[in-house]
Amino acid sequence: MAQFFAIAIRNFLKGPTTDPYPFGETYTPENYRGIIAYSPELCIGCGTCEYVCPSGAIKLRHDETGMNFSYWLSTCCHCGNCGYYCPTDAVYNSNDFHTSRVQSEKYNATINDDIASVQCSRCTAMIPRAVDALLARAYGEITDKVRHRVTLCPDCRRLEQFERMYL
Amino acid sequence: MLSRYAIKSPWLFRINTGSCNGCDVELATTALIPRYDVERLGCKYTGSPKHADIVLVTGPITVRSESYLIRMLDEIPEPRVVVAIGICPISGGVYRDSYSIRGPLDRFVEVDVNVSGCPIRPQSILDGVAQAIGIWKEKIKLFHEA
Repeated sequence: MAQFFAIAIRNFLKGPTTDPYPFGETYTPENYRGIIAYSPELCIGCGTCEYVCPSGAIKLRHDETGMNFSYWLSTCCHCGNCGYYCPTDAVYNSNDFHTSRVQSEKYNATINDDIASVQCSRCTAMIPRAVDALLARAYGEITDKVRHRVTLCPDCRRLEQFERMYL
Repeated sequence: MLSRYAIKSPWLFRINTGSCNGCDVELATTALIPRYDVERLGCKYTGSPKHADIVLVTGPITVRSESYLIRMLDEIPEPRVVVAIGICPISGGVYRDSYSIRGPLDRFVEVDVNVSGCPIRPQSILDGVAQAIGIWKEKIKLFHEA
């Protein structure tokens, strides 16, 4: 009996357990998989996120001028595959859970980013730009030589290699 | 006179159209446990479609459930607010373009609020219900004027 009163008094002092959410703040875990966040400056356009996306929420399109990353919230199943497989952490799940939209915004809940290609420093060919995160993964440390090499298109790189070795 | 008080307390009704039960578990969580407590917003779950004001639809509308959904929606009186819960009724989600689904939901009925997620968080459902209540208040005002 005494134990019962102890629990009753403790619960009385603790206050309500109801989450005050629509009227106040709520707790969201740091690792909660919410709406996708995308940083275009890190993206290398490899298309892995599009390949692993089970619900087809991510689409990457390539053309001569660059590439386009598009994401549609209304079909994203928040599985986290894109963030798990992204080699440069350009795509990841933020912990934003505000996914409620009125019908008129159904097709507007998107991320749409264009990433322009850069011109080769020797000829007029357009090449995808190099991202530091990927260079660090490929070369370890990024030297000036590497920095120069990634501004060239594959043909010009071969040409320059040939000139350096045989001319 | 009753309808004047009805503005403050819309009744919720849920329809499962072949959902995986994930969203239904979250709906039950939102309603039943005191931590999320959807009744703070003045809502109450009802078992009868004839009493429903806000309809929560889960699931990708499978071929089998299509006729039941249409029959059920016919029984729900106007004005009503239709809320699509989860990505399945909104766009088909992971089942999009499957042979066995007839979704998305806006092919059958005029949807008002979309709450996406797989499954959605109880807090997101509360968000969606709060938005739906806002729309419902406008709808019932227009209904009275007409």
